[in-house]
Amino acid sequence: MGGDIAIVGIGETPYSRARVKKGEIVMSAEEYTAWAASLALEDSGLTKGDMDGQGLAVVGSEWPHSEIWSAEIVQNLGFKPKLLLRGDFGGTNAVELIVQAAAALKAGMVDYVLFAGGDSPMLPPGENPNRTWRYELDYMRPFGLMGFISLAALMMQRHMYLYGTKQEHFGKIAVTQREHARLNPNAYVKTPMTMEDYLNSRILSDPLRMFDSTLFVNGGLAFILTKKELADKHAKNPIYILGYGLVHNYAEGDPALPDITTTGVKVAARDSLEMACISREKLDFLQLYDDFTGAVLMQIEDIGFCNKGEGGKFVEQTDISYRGTLPVNTGGGLISNGQPGMAAGFVQVVEAVKQLRGEAMNRQVNGARIGLVSGLGALAYGSNFANAGALILGVEP
Amino acid sequence: MNERKYEKPLPEVTPLTKPFWDSTKRHELVVQRCKSCGRYIWYPKAWCPFCGSRELEWAKVSGLGTVYAATTTRIVAGNSPAWGEELPYTIAIVDMDEGFRMYGRVVDVKPEEVEVGMRVEIYFEDATEEIAIPIFRPLEKKK
Ligand SMILES: [Zn+2]
Repeated sequence: MGGDIAIVGIGETPYSRARVKKGEIVMSAEEYTAWAASLALEDSGLTKGDMDGQGLAVVGSEWPHSEIWSAEIVQNLGFKPKLLLRGDFGGTNAVELIVQAAAALKAGMVDYVLFAGGDSPMLPPGENPNRTWRYELDYMRPFGLMGFISLAALMMQRHMYLYGTKQEHFGKIAVTQREHARLNPNAYVKTPMTMEDYLNSRILSDPLRMFDSTLFVNGGLAFILTKKELADKHAKNPIYILGYGLVHNYAEGDPALPDITTTGVKVAARDSLEMACISREKLDFLQLYDDFTGAVLMQIEDIGFCNKGEGGKFVEQTDISYRGTLPVNTGGGLISNGQPGMAAGFVQVVEAVKQLRGEAMNRQVNGARIGLVSGLGALAYGSNFANAGALILGVEP
Repeated sequence: MNERKYEKPLPEVTPLTKPFWDSTKRHELVVQRCKSCGRYIWYPKAWCPFCGSRELEWAKVSGLGTVYAATTTRIVAGNSPAWGEELPYTIAIVDMDEGFRMYGRVVDVKPEEVEVGMRVEIYFEDATEEIAIPIFRPLEKKK
Protein backbone atom coordinates (compact mmCIF):
# COMPACT_ATOMS: atom_id res chain seq x y z
CA MET A 1 0.00 0.00 0.00
CA GLY A 2 2.89 2.33 0.79
CA GLY A 3 5.71 3.39 -1.47
CA ASP A 4 4.19 6.61 -2.78
CA ILE A 5 6.55 8.77 -0.70
CA ALA A 6 10.35 8.76 -0.90
CA ILE A 7 13.40 10.22 0.81
CA VAL A 8 15.60 11.92 -1.79
CA GLY A 9 18.27 13.62 0.27
CA ILE A 10 19.93 13.29 3.66
CA GLY A 11 22.29 15.39 5.72
CA GLU A 12 24.09 14.85 9.00
CA THR A 13 26.46 17.26 10.70
CA PRO A 14 29.37 16.19 12.89
CA TYR A 15 28.48 15.97 16.58
CA SER A 16 29.93 17.91 19.47
CA ARG A 17 29.54 18.09 23.23
CA ALA A 18 30.70 21.71 23.15
CA ARG A 19 33.79 20.91 25.18
CA VAL A 20 35.73 23.99 24.21
CA LYS A 21 38.89 22.90 26.01
CA LYS A 22 38.99 19.77 23.84
CA GLY A 23 38.64 21.88 20.71
CA GLU A 24 35.02 20.95 20.07
CA ILE A 25 32.82 23.40 18.23
CA VAL A 26 30.03 25.32 19.96
CA MET A 27 26.96 25.99 17.83
CA SER A 28 23.32 26.77 18.46
CA ALA A 29 20.34 24.59 17.56
CA GLU A 30 19.54 27.04 14.77
CA GLU A 31 23.03 26.80 13.29
CA TYR A 32 22.83 23.01 13.31
CA THR A 33 19.38 23.14 11.71
CA ALA A 34 20.76 25.29 8.87
CA TRP A 35 23.89 23.17 8.47
CA ALA A 36 21.95 19.90 8.29
CA ALA A 37 19.41 21.41 5.87
CA SER A 38 22.16 22.60 3.53
CA LEU A 39 23.73 19.12 3.53
CA ALA A 40 20.40 17.46 2.67
CA LEU A 41 19.65 19.97 -0.09
CA GLU A 42 23.09 19.42 -1.58
CA ASP A 43 22.65 15.64 -1.38
CA SER A 44 19.35 15.84 -3.29
CA GLY A 45 20.45 18.41 -5.84
CA LEU A 46 17.85 20.91 -4.66
CA THR A 47 18.39 24.47 -3.50
CA LYS A 48 16.92 26.49 -0.67
CA GLY A 49 14.88 28.42 -3.25
CA ASP A 50 13.30 25.17 -4.47
CA MET A 51 11.76 24.85 -1.04
CA ASP A 52 9.76 28.10 -1.32
CA GLY A 53 6.07 27.23 -1.11
CA GLN A 54 6.88 23.66 -0.07
CA GLY A 55 6.89 22.02 3.36
CA LEU A 56 9.30 22.48 6.25
CA ALA A 57 9.35 20.25 9.33
CA VAL A 58 11.39 21.22 12.37
CA VAL A 59 11.81 19.73 15.80
CA GLY A 60 10.98 21.69 18.92
CA SER A 61 14.36 22.60 20.28
CA GLU A 62 14.67 22.11 24.00
CA TRP A 63 15.73 25.72 24.23
CA PRO A 64 13.77 27.59 26.92
CA HIS A 65 12.24 30.38 24.88
CA SER A 66 10.95 28.28 22.04
CA GLU A 67 7.26 29.14 22.11
CA ILE A 68 7.31 30.06 18.42
CA TRP A 69 10.36 28.00 17.47
CA SER A 70 9.18 27.10 13.96
CA ALA A 71 8.42 30.75 13.17
CA GLU A 72 11.80 31.78 14.51
CA ILE A 73 13.47 29.24 12.25
CA VAL A 74 11.65 30.32 9.08
CA GLN A 75 12.39 33.98 9.75
CA ASN A 76 15.98 33.56 10.81
CA LEU A 77 16.85 31.12 8.03
CA GLY A 78 14.66 32.79 5.40
CA PHE A 79 12.49 29.81 4.54
CA LYS A 80 9.11 30.49 2.91
CA PRO A 81 7.22 27.24 3.37
CA LYS A 82 3.53 26.80 2.66
CA LEU A 83 3.31 23.96 5.15
CA LEU A 84 5.17 24.31 8.45
CA LEU A 85 5.33 21.35 10.83
CA ARG A 86 6.89 21.27 14.27
CA GLY A 87 7.38 18.18 16.38
CA ASP A 88 6.98 18.16 20.13
CA PHE A 89 6.99 14.37 20.30
CA GLY A 90 10.46 13.74 21.73
CA GLY A 91 11.91 10.52 20.33
CA THR A 92 9.10 10.05 17.82
CA ASN A 93 9.63 13.46 16.18
CA ALA A 94 10.91 11.95 12.93
CA VAL A 95 8.26 9.25 12.53
CA GLU A 96 5.36 11.52 13.53
CA LEU A 97 6.43 14.35 11.22
CA ILE A 98 6.95 11.90 8.34
CA VAL A 99 3.39 10.64 8.78
CA GLN A 100 2.08 14.22 8.81
CA ALA A 101 4.19 15.20 5.80
CA ALA A 102 3.12 12.09 3.88
CA ALA A 103 -0.52 13.11 4.32
CA ALA A 104 0.20 16.60 2.94
CA LEU A 105 2.23 15.18 0.03
CA LYS A 106 -0.48 12.65 -0.86
CA ALA A 107 -3.15 15.36 -0.64
CA GLY A 108 -1.21 17.41 -3.19
CA MET A 109 -0.67 20.35 -0.87
CA VAL A 110 3.11 20.35 -1.46
CA ASP A 111 5.63 18.41 -3.56
CA TYR A 112 8.52 18.44 -1.10
CA VAL A 113 8.95 18.55 2.65
CA LEU A 114 12.36 19.43 4.06
CA PHE A 115 12.97 17.92 7.49
CA ALA A 116 15.52 20.01 9.37
CA GLY A 117 16.35 18.72 12.83
CA GLY A 118 18.96 20.47 14.93
CA ASP A 119 19.46 20.76 18.65
CA SER A 120 22.13 21.82 21.11
CA PRO A 121 21.36 20.17 24.42
CA MET A 122 24.96 20.69 25.57
CA LEU A 123 25.00 24.43 24.93
CA PRO A 124 25.99 26.79 26.23
CA PRO A 125 28.01 25.16 28.98
CA GLY A 126 26.50 25.86 32.39
CA GLU A 127 23.36 27.33 30.89
CA ASN A 128 21.39 24.22 30.15
CA PRO A 129 17.69 24.93 30.10
CA ASN A 130 15.43 23.27 32.63
CA ARG A 131 14.13 20.75 30.15
CA THR A 132 11.13 18.98 31.51
CA TRP A 133 7.37 18.83 31.70
CA ARG A 134 4.69 19.52 34.25
CA TYR A 135 4.19 16.06 35.75
CA GLU A 136 7.91 15.70 36.23
CA LEU A 137 8.13 19.07 37.99
CA ASP A 138 5.21 18.37 40.31
CA TYR A 139 5.18 14.61 40.91
CA MET A 140 8.62 13.33 40.07
CA ARG A 141 11.41 15.75 41.00
CA PRO A 142 9.96 16.59 44.44
CA PHE A 143 9.52 12.84 45.01
CA GLY A 144 13.22 12.16 44.35
CA LEU A 145 13.11 10.77 40.80
CA MET A 146 16.07 11.39 38.47
CA GLY A 147 13.94 11.71 35.35
CA PHE A 148 14.95 9.42 32.49
CA ILE A 149 17.46 7.57 34.63
CA SER A 150 14.90 6.43 37.21
CA LEU A 151 12.25 5.49 34.66
CA ALA A 152 14.62 3.56 32.40
CA ALA A 153 16.04 1.73 35.43
CA LEU A 154 12.56 0.78 36.65
CA MET A 155 11.62 -0.68 33.24
CA MET A 156 14.82 -2.74 33.18
CA GLN A 157 14.32 -3.88 36.79
CA ARG A 158 10.80 -5.04 36.06
CA HIS A 159 12.01 -6.94 33.00
CA MET A 160 14.78 -8.60 35.03
CA TYR A 161 12.33 -9.46 37.82
CA LEU A 162 9.69 -10.97 35.54
CA TYR A 163 11.91 -12.74 33.04
CA GLY A 164 15.33 -13.24 34.58
CA THR A 165 16.95 -10.89 32.08
CA LYS A 166 20.63 -10.39 32.89
CA GLN A 167 22.94 -7.39 32.84
CA GLU A 168 24.95 -9.15 30.16
CA HIS A 169 21.91 -9.10 27.86
CA PHE A 170 21.75 -5.32 28.04
CA GLY A 171 25.54 -5.31 27.79
CA LYS A 172 25.48 -7.21 24.50
CA ILE A 173 23.38 -4.43 22.98
CA ALA A 174 25.70 -1.70 24.31
CA VAL A 175 28.86 -3.49 23.18
CA THR A 176 27.47 -4.22 19.69
CA GLN A 177 26.33 -0.64 19.21
CA ARG A 178 29.74 0.62 20.26
CA GLU A 179 31.33 -1.63 17.66
CA HIS A 180 29.01 -0.03 15.10
CA ALA A 181 29.89 3.48 16.25
CA ARG A 182 33.57 2.69 15.78
CA LEU A 183 32.82 1.87 12.14
CA ASN A 184 30.71 5.03 11.67
CA PRO A 185 32.92 8.04 10.87
CA ASN A 186 30.22 10.42 12.10
CA ALA A 187 29.52 8.76 15.48
CA TYR A 188 30.60 10.70 18.55
CA VAL A 189 31.99 7.85 20.67
CA LYS A 190 34.88 5.84 19.27
CA THR A 191 36.42 4.31 22.40
CA PRO A 192 36.43 0.50 22.24
CA MET A 193 34.18 -1.27 24.74
CA THR A 194 34.24 -4.90 25.88
CA MET A 195 31.64 -6.69 27.99
CA GLU A 196 34.07 -6.34 30.89
CA ASP A 197 34.24 -2.57 30.33
CA TYR A 198 30.44 -2.51 30.28
CA LEU A 199 30.11 -4.50 33.50
CA ASN A 200 32.66 -2.23 35.19
CA SER A 201 30.94 0.97 34.10
CA ARG A 202 29.22 3.19 36.60
CA ILE A 203 25.69 2.31 37.73
CA LEU A 204 23.44 5.36 37.62
CA SER A 205 20.36 3.65 39.05
CA ASP A 206 20.27 -0.14 39.31
CA PRO A 207 20.65 -1.78 36.85
CA LEU A 208 21.05 1.16 34.43
CA ARG A 209 24.70 1.87 33.71
CA MET A 210 26.35 4.83 32.08
CA PHE A 211 26.95 2.62 29.03
CA ASP A 212 23.25 1.70 28.85
CA SER A 213 22.24 5.32 28.42
CA THR A 214 21.86 7.78 25.61
CA LEU A 215 24.62 10.33 25.20
CA PHE A 216 23.52 13.91 24.56
CA VAL A 217 25.36 15.69 21.76
CA ASN A 218 24.84 18.84 19.76
CA GLY A 219 24.17 18.27 16.11
CA GLY A 220 21.75 18.30 13.23
CA LEU A 221 20.21 15.88 10.77
CA ALA A 222 17.97 16.55 7.79
CA PHE A 223 16.21 14.76 4.99
CA ILE A 224 13.86 15.56 2.13
CA LEU A 225 10.57 13.82 1.35
CA THR A 226 8.81 13.90 -1.99
CA LYS A 227 6.17 12.06 -3.99
CA LYS A 228 6.96 8.95 -5.97
CA GLU A 229 6.45 10.89 -9.25
CA LEU A 230 9.38 13.20 -8.42
CA ALA A 231 11.54 10.67 -6.63
CA ASP A 232 13.77 9.74 -9.59
CA LYS A 233 14.68 13.34 -10.44
CA HIS A 234 17.40 13.53 -7.80
CA ALA A 235 21.08 12.82 -7.49
CA LYS A 236 20.81 9.67 -5.36
CA ASN A 237 18.57 6.63 -5.48
CA PRO A 238 15.29 7.36 -3.69
CA ILE A 239 14.44 5.38 -0.57
CA TYR A 240 10.73 4.66 -0.32
CA ILE A 241 8.52 4.80 2.72
CA LEU A 242 6.57 1.57 2.49
CA GLY A 243 4.61 1.73 5.69
CA TYR A 244 4.18 3.51 8.98
CA GLY A 245 2.42 3.13 12.29
CA LEU A 246 1.83 5.41 15.27
CA VAL A 247 0.24 4.94 18.66
CA HIS A 248 -0.09 7.25 21.64
CA ASN A 249 -0.70 6.58 25.31
CA TYR A 250 -0.40 2.85 24.70
CA ALA A 251 -0.91 0.70 27.77
CA GLU A 252 -0.49 -3.06 27.85
CA GLY A 253 -3.07 -4.35 30.31
CA ASP A 254 -5.00 -2.21 32.80
CA PRO A 255 -4.57 1.43 31.67
CA ALA A 256 -3.99 2.52 35.29
CA LEU A 257 -1.54 -0.32 36.08
CA PRO A 258 0.05 -1.19 32.73
CA ASP A 259 2.94 -3.56 32.06
CA ILE A 260 5.92 -1.18 31.78
CA THR A 261 7.99 -3.73 29.84
CA THR A 262 5.85 -3.47 26.68
CA THR A 263 6.20 -0.50 24.33
CA GLY A 264 3.72 0.93 21.82
CA VAL A 265 6.11 -0.25 19.10
CA LYS A 266 4.20 -3.53 19.44
CA VAL A 267 1.26 -1.80 17.73
CA ALA A 268 3.19 0.67 15.57
CA ALA A 269 5.50 -1.97 14.06
CA ARG A 270 2.59 -4.33 13.37
CA ASP A 271 0.68 -1.54 11.61
CA SER A 272 3.69 -0.42 9.59
CA LEU A 273 4.43 -3.98 8.42
CA GLU A 274 0.77 -4.45 7.47
CA MET A 275 0.80 -1.23 5.47
CA ALA A 276 3.97 -2.34 3.69
CA CYS A 277 2.46 -5.80 3.11
CA ILE A 278 5.56 -7.55 4.39
CA SER A 279 6.40 -9.87 7.28
CA ARG A 280 9.08 -9.01 9.83
CA GLU A 281 11.27 -11.77 8.41
CA LYS A 282 11.78 -9.57 5.33
CA LEU A 283 13.50 -6.86 7.39
CA ASP A 284 17.22 -6.63 6.68
CA PHE A 285 17.93 -4.41 9.70
CA LEU A 286 16.32 -2.55 12.59
CA GLN A 287 17.10 1.02 13.61
CA LEU A 288 15.42 1.01 17.03
CA TYR A 289 15.02 4.04 19.23
CA ASP A 290 17.58 3.50 21.98
CA ASP A 291 17.65 6.09 24.71
CA PHE A 292 18.66 3.05 26.80
CA THR A 293 19.59 -0.55 26.02
CA GLY A 294 16.47 -1.89 27.72
CA ALA A 295 14.30 -0.07 25.18
CA VAL A 296 16.05 -1.97 22.37
CA LEU A 297 15.51 -5.30 24.10
CA MET A 298 11.82 -4.59 24.73
CA GLN A 299 11.24 -3.52 21.12
CA ILE A 300 12.85 -6.68 19.70
CA GLU A 301 10.21 -8.57 21.69
CA ASP A 302 7.42 -6.16 20.78
CA ILE A 303 8.10 -6.43 17.04
CA GLY A 304 7.77 -10.17 17.51
CA PHE A 305 11.25 -11.57 16.91
CA CYS A 306 10.70 -13.50 20.14
CA ASN A 307 8.04 -13.71 22.84
CA LYS A 308 7.77 -11.09 25.56
CA GLY A 309 10.38 -11.92 28.17
CA GLU A 310 12.67 -13.86 25.83
CA GLY A 311 14.53 -10.79 24.58
CA GLY A 312 17.52 -11.41 26.82
CA LYS A 313 18.06 -14.92 25.56
CA PHE A 314 17.34 -13.82 21.98
CA VAL A 315 19.96 -11.10 22.10
CA GLU A 316 22.44 -13.50 23.69
CA GLN A 317 21.96 -16.07 20.93
CA THR A 318 21.64 -13.69 17.95
CA ASP A 319 24.31 -11.74 16.13
CA ILE A 320 22.78 -8.25 16.14
CA SER A 321 25.82 -6.65 14.52
CA TYR A 322 25.80 -5.35 10.94
CA ARG A 323 27.19 -8.76 9.86
CA GLY A 324 24.58 -10.72 11.75
CA THR A 325 21.21 -12.30 11.15
CA LEU A 326 19.37 -9.33 12.67
CA PRO A 327 21.44 -6.14 12.46
CA VAL A 328 20.33 -3.58 15.05
CA ASN A 329 21.34 0.09 15.29
CA THR A 330 24.10 -0.19 12.76
CA GLY A 331 25.38 3.37 13.20
CA GLY A 332 25.85 3.09 16.96
CA GLY A 333 22.43 4.40 17.97
CA LEU A 334 21.84 7.20 20.43
CA ILE A 335 23.96 5.34 22.99
CA SER A 336 27.18 5.53 20.98
CA ASN A 337 26.45 7.71 17.95
CA GLY A 338 25.00 10.31 20.32
CA GLN A 339 21.57 11.89 20.77
CA PRO A 340 21.25 15.35 19.22
CA GLY A 341 18.52 16.46 21.63
CA MET A 342 15.09 16.56 20.06
CA ALA A 343 16.46 15.57 16.65
CA ALA A 344 17.08 12.15 18.22
CA GLY A 345 14.71 10.19 15.97
CA PHE A 346 16.38 11.60 12.84
CA VAL A 347 19.48 9.53 13.64
CA GLN A 348 17.64 6.27 12.95
CA VAL A 349 16.10 7.54 9.68
CA VAL A 350 19.39 8.82 8.26
CA GLU A 351 21.24 5.60 9.17
CA ALA A 352 18.48 3.55 7.53
CA VAL A 353 18.77 5.58 4.31
CA LYS A 354 22.56 5.18 4.28
CA GLN A 355 22.18 1.41 4.67
CA LEU A 356 19.56 1.15 1.92
CA ARG A 357 21.63 3.30 -0.45
CA GLY A 358 24.64 1.13 0.24
CA GLU A 359 26.54 4.10 1.68
CA ALA A 360 27.28 2.60 5.11
CA MET A 361 30.87 1.73 4.24
CA ASN A 362 32.55 -0.61 6.75
CA ARG A 363 29.30 -1.25 8.59
CA GLN A 364 27.19 -1.94 5.47
CA VAL A 365 24.52 -4.61 5.91
CA ASN A 366 25.05 -6.88 2.93
CA GLY A 367 22.26 -6.52 0.38
CA ALA A 368 20.04 -4.38 2.59
CA ARG A 369 16.73 -3.72 0.81
CA ILE A 370 14.13 -3.20 3.54
CA GLY A 371 14.54 -1.88 7.08
CA LEU A 372 12.51 -0.79 10.07
CA VAL A 373 12.96 2.47 11.97
CA SER A 374 11.25 3.04 15.31
CA GLY A 375 10.64 5.99 17.60
CA LEU A 376 9.77 6.18 21.28
CA GLY A 377 9.00 9.50 22.91
CA ALA A 378 7.78 11.10 26.13
CA LEU A 379 8.41 8.96 29.19
CA ALA A 380 4.97 8.48 30.65
CA TYR A 381 4.04 8.59 34.34
CA GLY A 382 3.65 5.07 35.71
CA SER A 383 3.85 3.53 32.28
CA ASN A 384 6.25 3.23 29.37
CA PHE A 385 6.56 5.78 26.56
CA ALA A 386 3.55 7.93 25.63
CA ASN A 387 4.56 8.11 21.94
CA ALA A 388 5.56 5.20 19.73
CA GLY A 389 6.03 4.94 16.00
CA ALA A 390 7.54 2.77 13.29
CA LEU A 391 8.47 3.18 9.63
CA ILE A 392 9.30 0.65 6.96
CA LEU A 393 11.82 1.91 4.38
CA GLY A 394 12.81 0.14 1.20
CA VAL A 395 14.79 0.53 -2.01
CA GLU A 396 11.74 -0.12 -4.23
CA PRO A 397 8.26 1.43 -4.05
CA MET B 1 9.70 20.59 61.15
CA ASN B 2 13.21 20.64 59.82
CA GLU B 3 14.98 23.85 60.86
CA ARG B 4 17.23 23.85 57.80
CA LYS B 5 16.04 25.47 54.64
CA TYR B 6 14.44 22.86 52.35
CA GLU B 7 16.45 22.83 49.14
CA LYS B 8 14.90 19.96 47.22
CA PRO B 9 12.40 20.73 44.46
CA LEU B 10 8.86 21.63 45.43
CA PRO B 11 5.70 21.26 43.35
CA GLU B 12 3.66 24.16 42.06
CA VAL B 13 0.30 24.19 43.83
CA THR B 14 -2.58 25.17 41.54
CA PRO B 15 -6.33 25.40 42.17
CA LEU B 16 -6.63 21.94 40.56
CA THR B 17 -3.98 20.30 42.74
CA LYS B 18 -4.55 22.20 46.01
CA PRO B 19 -6.87 19.60 47.58
CA PHE B 20 -4.15 16.99 47.18
CA TRP B 21 -1.41 19.14 48.69
CA ASP B 22 -3.77 20.30 51.47
CA SER B 23 -4.32 16.65 52.35
CA THR B 24 -0.64 15.74 52.43
CA LYS B 25 -0.14 18.66 54.80
CA ARG B 26 -2.65 16.91 57.12
CA HIS B 27 -0.67 13.68 56.50
CA GLU B 28 -3.57 12.14 54.66
CA LEU B 29 -3.63 10.79 51.13
CA VAL B 30 -6.52 12.13 49.07
CA VAL B 31 -6.80 11.54 45.32
CA GLN B 32 -9.43 12.15 42.68
CA ARG B 33 -12.12 9.56 42.06
CA CYS B 34 -14.42 9.56 39.04
CA LYS B 35 -18.09 9.72 40.00
CA SER B 36 -19.03 8.14 36.71
CA CYS B 37 -16.76 5.07 36.44
CA GLY B 38 -15.47 4.92 40.01
CA ARG B 39 -11.79 4.83 39.08
CA TYR B 40 -9.21 6.46 41.34
CA ILE B 41 -6.98 8.95 39.48
CA TRP B 42 -3.37 9.89 40.22
CA TYR B 43 -1.91 12.48 39.59
CA PRO B 44 -4.63 15.21 39.54
CA LYS B 45 -6.28 15.52 36.14
CA ALA B 46 -8.75 17.84 34.42
CA TRP B 47 -11.17 15.00 33.72
CA CYS B 48 -11.33 11.26 34.16
CA PRO B 49 -8.72 9.87 31.74
CA PHE B 50 -10.59 6.55 31.69
CA CYS B 51 -14.11 7.67 30.74
CA GLY B 52 -13.90 11.41 30.08
CA SER B 53 -16.25 12.44 32.85
CA ARG B 54 -15.61 15.85 34.44
CA GLU B 55 -17.47 14.75 37.58
CA LEU B 56 -14.53 14.09 39.87
CA GLU B 57 -14.45 14.05 43.67
CA TRP B 58 -11.61 13.92 46.15
CA ALA B 59 -11.49 10.67 48.10
CA LYS B 60 -9.35 9.65 51.07
CA VAL B 61 -7.47 6.42 50.34
CA SER B 62 -5.69 3.83 52.45
CA GLY B 63 -2.13 4.83 51.62
CA LEU B 64 -1.30 1.13 51.30
CA GLY B 65 0.29 -0.41 48.26
CA THR B 66 2.61 -3.00 46.79
CA VAL B 67 6.01 -2.43 45.19
CA TYR B 68 5.79 -3.08 41.41
CA ALA B 69 9.42 -2.23 40.61
CA ALA B 70 12.27 -0.57 42.51
CA THR B 71 15.67 0.88 41.71
CA THR B 72 18.54 2.17 43.81
CA THR B 73 19.37 5.73 42.82
CA ARG B 74 23.13 6.25 42.83
CA ILE B 75 23.66 9.62 41.18
CA VAL B 76 21.92 12.97 40.93
CA ALA B 77 20.98 13.92 37.36
CA GLY B 78 18.08 15.96 36.07
CA ASN B 79 17.12 16.91 39.61
CA SER B 80 18.35 19.13 42.43
CA PRO B 81 21.86 18.54 43.80
CA ALA B 82 20.19 18.63 47.22
CA TRP B 83 19.24 14.98 46.72
CA GLY B 84 22.94 14.12 46.89
CA GLU B 85 22.90 13.87 50.69
CA GLU B 86 20.30 11.08 50.52
CA LEU B 87 22.21 8.82 48.11
CA PRO B 88 21.91 5.93 47.66
CA TYR B 89 18.14 5.66 48.00
CA THR B 90 15.29 3.64 46.59
CA ILE B 91 12.78 4.84 44.02
CA ALA B 92 9.80 2.58 43.49
CA ILE B 93 6.67 2.24 41.46
CA VAL B 94 3.94 1.42 43.96
CA ASP B 95 0.58 0.00 42.93
CA MET B 96 -1.87 1.34 45.48
CA ASP B 97 -4.66 -0.84 46.83
CA GLU B 98 -7.30 1.38 45.22
CA GLY B 99 -5.91 0.67 41.74
CA PHE B 100 -3.68 3.61 40.91
CA ARG B 101 0.09 3.84 40.57
CA MET B 102 2.53 6.25 42.28
CA TYR B 103 6.26 6.89 42.19
CA GLY B 104 8.08 7.57 45.40
CA ARG B 105 11.08 6.92 47.62
CA VAL B 106 11.01 3.88 49.89
CA VAL B 107 12.81 4.61 53.15
CA ASP B 108 13.39 2.91 56.53
CA VAL B 109 14.74 -0.11 54.65
CA LYS B 110 18.06 -0.84 52.94
CA PRO B 111 17.82 -0.36 49.17
CA GLU B 112 18.84 -3.99 48.52
CA GLU B 113 16.00 -5.20 50.74
CA VAL B 114 13.23 -3.50 48.75
CA GLU B 115 11.60 -6.22 46.67
CA VAL B 116 8.81 -6.47 44.16
CA GLY B 117 5.67 -7.46 46.02
CA MET B 118 6.73 -5.76 49.27
CA ARG B 119 3.81 -4.14 51.08
CA VAL B 120 4.38 -0.47 51.80
CA GLU B 121 2.48 2.39 53.37
CA ILE B 122 2.64 6.06 52.61
CA TYR B 123 3.75 8.69 55.08
CA PHE B 124 4.69 12.30 54.68
CA GLU B 125 7.80 14.40 55.00
CA ASP B 126 7.09 17.99 55.98
CA ALA B 127 9.21 19.93 53.52
CA THR B 128 7.90 23.44 54.19
CA GLU B 129 4.96 25.04 56.02
CA GLU B 130 2.87 24.44 52.90
CA ILE B 131 4.13 21.21 51.39
CA ALA B 132 4.48 17.66 52.69
CA ILE B 133 5.94 15.10 50.26
CA PRO B 134 4.58 11.53 50.18
CA ILE B 135 7.16 8.81 50.91
CA PHE B 136 6.81 5.04 51.32
CA ARG B 137 8.06 2.73 54.05
CA PRO B 138 7.61 -0.99 54.65
CA LEU B 139 4.23 -1.70 56.20
CA GLU B 140 5.62 -3.78 59.05
CA LYS B 141 8.07 -1.06 60.09
CA LYS B 142 5.38 1.28 61.39
CA LYS B 143 6.73 3.93 63.72
ZN1 LIG C 1 -14.31 7.87 34.79
